[in-house]
Amino acid sequence: MSFSFPYLKYAVGNLFKKSSCDMYPFVESTAADKYRGRIAYDPTKCINCGLCMKVCSPSAITRTEKEVEGGKEITFHFDLTSCTFCGMCQDFCPQKAIELTADYGMVGKREELFTEGSYVKEAPAGKLGIGDDCVFCGLCAKMCPQGAITVDRANKSWTVDEDKCVKCGVCVGKCPKKTLDFQKPQVQCGEDCVYCGLCAKMCPQGAITVDRPNKSWTVDEDKCVKCGVCVGKCPKKTLDFQKPQVQCGEDCVYCGLCAKMCPQGAITVDRPNKSWTVDKEKCVLCGMCVSKCPKKALKI
Amino acid sequence: MFKNLIADSAAKSPWVYHINTGSCNGCDIELVAAITPRFDAERFGVKLAGTPRHADIVVVTGPVTAQSKERLIRTLEQVPEPRVIVAMGTCPNSCNVFKNSYSVCGPLENFCHVDVSIAGCSPKPEAVLAGIVQATEILKQKRKEMAK
Repeated sequence: MSFSFPYLKYAVGNLFKKSSCDMYPFVESTAADKYRGRIAYDPTKCINCGLCMKVCSPSAITRTEKEVEGGKEITFHFDLTSCTFCGMCQDFCPQKAIELTADYGMVGKREELFTEGSYVKEAPAGKLGIGDDCVFCGLCAKMCPQGAITVDRANKSWTVDEDKCVKCGVCVGKCPKKTLDFQKPQVQCGEDCVYCGLCAKMCPQGAITVDRPNKSWTVDEDKCVKCGVCVGKCPKKTLDFQKPQVQCGEDCVYCGLCAKMCPQGAITVDRPNKSWTVDKEKCVLCGMCVSKCPKKALKI
Repeated sequence: MFKNLIADSAAKSPWVYHINTGSCNGCDIELVAAITPRFDAERFGVKLAGTPRHADIVVVTGPVTAQSKERLIRTLEQVPEPRVIVAMGTCPNSCNVFKNSYSVCGPLENFCHVDVSIAGCSPKPEAVLAGIVQATEILKQKRKEMAK
């Protein structure tokens, strides 16, 4: 008769070992690296593009917009008891305003489990620009607190230093001809467009319409929130926000007067080849060419 | 006095019954993980009960599918008062990605009062423990109210 206790050694040994238990909640326990837990939302970064709502499969994200003084108050509500923590909102957010943190302790009443943030979005203020009525009086340049505006009356040129301009609007109020204003940057499609429709598909607001058979590309200005998702997605890199530019119509007879009068030398007219081009970098939208065109074919 | 003794000891060892109403099994695994020695829910006196008639806390996982709806109601009817219902994971709280599906009757709120919600898809065992601890506190309160 022989007794054997093969596990006796371990059984006795374990009596003197530390417990293998984590002892949560008395001892804090951290989640694994890149754990996707409670959503953190930074309203200061958010631009209200709504892409997060579009990619959210359980529709856990809701947005409320309220008209307040100086713009719209936008509130994003993330229902954590509806969230599936897939991280798509974090991945797609063009401004990195959403982050899934390592906080896993989401316990309590259902109504209390949410993340919310709101901010006031100002009415869009784009690049400063002048209209046709400008008489180059120079009052705007004189009144500008930043010294960002340069007016050359002799050459009828008006330029603004984008880096200096703080969009205070003093010049706009001072303009005697009421021709100075902030211009909305507008999404525009370039010549390389192949009408693939990816921009329309990715637009969180459904503001873009692409008609491939008719090769037409249109953007609904009222819907567009300038989030820039389409610009990033364009495979031909032809889509961009463009400042308003001088365009030449069909009535052009290629006389070359506009090129001669342009204070910046931005226009090139090739009469034999019937081509008219404008250098967007040089053009300051002074409107001189438009006023000089004998056929009234030019427009900004 | 004897009654008080039973009530006191029962308060310190809430038995948990787990019902799956069409869950993907993720939450179920995490709940079982919370019982293992590493997380050790038995420190709080928690024990998985084999039948709803023995249970104090009911942990529900899953979005309540049309198939499981009848069974859920029947099971909950068998749990004696006072009882605490814990909705574990996103599914019983809001149906998660299965919202508006033809075969889903959830969320759980449609059928009973939910005392504790644990968010997460699926929640970590630590979150499950925190939820169960919270449920025990609620259970104690409910017992007191019933004794009055």
